[in-house]
Amino acid sequence: MDYQMQNTLLYVENLSVAYGEKVVIKDVSFVEKDVTREGSVTGQVIAVVGRSGRGKSTLFRALTGLIKPTTGKILIADVATGVENDAKEVHEGDVGFVDQKYTLFRNKTIYQALMFALRHKDFSKEEKHNTITKYLQEWGLEKAKDQYPCELSGGQRQRTAIIEQILCSGHYMVLDEPFSGLDIGNIEDVKKAFSLITSLHEFNTIIYSTHDIELAVELADSIYVIGYPTIDGKTADYGTIVKHVDMKERKLAWKEYGVEHLEVVKEIKAAMLTS
Amino acid sequence: MKKIFTPFENIGKNSRLLIILSWVILVAVFWFVSSMGERHLFPSPEQVGRGFRELYNEGLMVHVGSSLWLCLKAILIAITISLTITYLSTIPVVMPVARAISKLRYLPLTGITFYLAIIISNARTMQVWVLVVFMSTYLTTSLLSMVSSIEQEEFDHARSLQCNRWEVLWEVVIKGRMDHVIEVIRQNLAIVWMMLVTVESILVAAGGLGFLIKNSDKFMNHGRIIALQIVILFVGLSIDFILDYLRKAFFRYSKI
Repeated sequence: MDYQMQNTLLYVENLSVAYGEKVVIKDVSFVEKDVTREGSVTGQVIAVVGRSGRGKSTLFRALTGLIKPTTGKILIADVATGVENDAKEVHEGDVGFVDQKYTLFRNKTIYQALMFALRHKDFSKEEKHNTITKYLQEWGLEKAKDQYPCELSGGQRQRTAIIEQILCSGHYMVLDEPFSGLDIGNIEDVKKAFSLITSLHEFNTIIYSTHDIELAVELADSIYVIGYPTIDGKTADYGTIVKHVDMKERKLAWKEYGVEHLEVVKEIKAAMLTS
Repeated sequence: MKKIFTPFENIGKNSRLLIILSWVILVAVFWFVSSMGERHLFPSPEQVGRGFRELYNEGLMVHVGSSLWLCLKAILIAITISLTITYLSTIPVVMPVARAISKLRYLPLTGITFYLAIIISNARTMQVWVLVVFMSTYLTTSLLSMVSSIEQEEFDHARSLQCNRWEVLWEVVIKGRMDHVIEVIRQNLAIVWMMLVTVESILVAAGGLGFLIKNSDKFMNHGRIIALQIVILFVGLSIDFILDYLRKAFFRYSKI
């Protein structure tokens, strides 16, 4: 499938995060660019896989600006300046973050939560109301708009958490294990949510972690494996990127899941087991 | 039948009612039996009934009102102090002060009353402040525990929605836990209610249920003592019920 690489959307250089003496991730570097395809709006879907305790969540907290890197830098596209390829350092709030539990404000109904997410936007109250109504209709949440998180199903919570971040944070969204503990129906809902987000804008970029390698290979166009690197025959005790699979390069992105994908799954599993 | 004696067994509504009724009858029978004869531990139901009538004629309702008013004043002041300390405890420089106040709950009441007596001369004000000092330490302890039990994800969620640190405090801790504050008051109420009666019985000048119990105690009027205990228990349980009702009515999302 033909595609082109345009502006740099995410630039991570020599990132490391340590809690006191304990180095959790080190030497993490990668670049993700805007992918364009003729005739369709294509956002980026990036999967991060790796065994437990390798630093996926720490990487995500750094990518969302929730923790400051010990060394290195994370740059994202600065679309506000209007200058092409302009970049800025990531700060909390620039990148949407949806955690595994789909955390929401417990004291706000869906409508109130979405209104809160739009509070900094320069819209009139009516425009905000219309935007929210549009999203609620598109995402099948219209009937639940006056319900609190404790009254929602797992699927409704997920969708609310995702819309909240779309409305507030712009083009980037990080999801920590969005498929964890979901039934088959909810998994389909999240997949639909992914394609909805990526079809909204060229720059929209989803970064998610998962333990389900098949799902990573099926949905992502770029996959990073985080693990403990082997240096001079010894396994280090910090996480870093040990493998990158570019599904676009392999002509497997945006394609129906098939035998070739299974080969990638095997490759990734092998990389995970040795790191 | 066997079910009601088996651990973790689920029983029907009717069985549950029957069990409660059986216990009530058992307590009533025990009371009647133990209050018969020349020497007895508990006063007879007639004595208690007489105690109720005497108390009512001596202005029981005024004393209940007085105790409730004292309780309300003390709770309002104590919760204001405790909430301020707790919310500010999220600021690193204030945290040690909040923790120290929580630890002061191990101070004996006598020590507190000694110093308060030096500063305050009015008996009623003294009662309020003894309770406030006492309650604040307990309320602060529970409120600090409420804040520390908020999961990191909730703070991260607010931060990812571009809330600055003060907004996080406002949205997650203050607004987001309003229902928990009522629950904290409710849970601390029993000990406060118990203290209120003690404080009133130490400083009898301003009346109240504590004053009545002290008086009945002095004249060994068993009937009145039990009648008063029942009144105190009933009023305490009523406040507990009202607070729980208010929490559920005002905070639909509250599932504590």
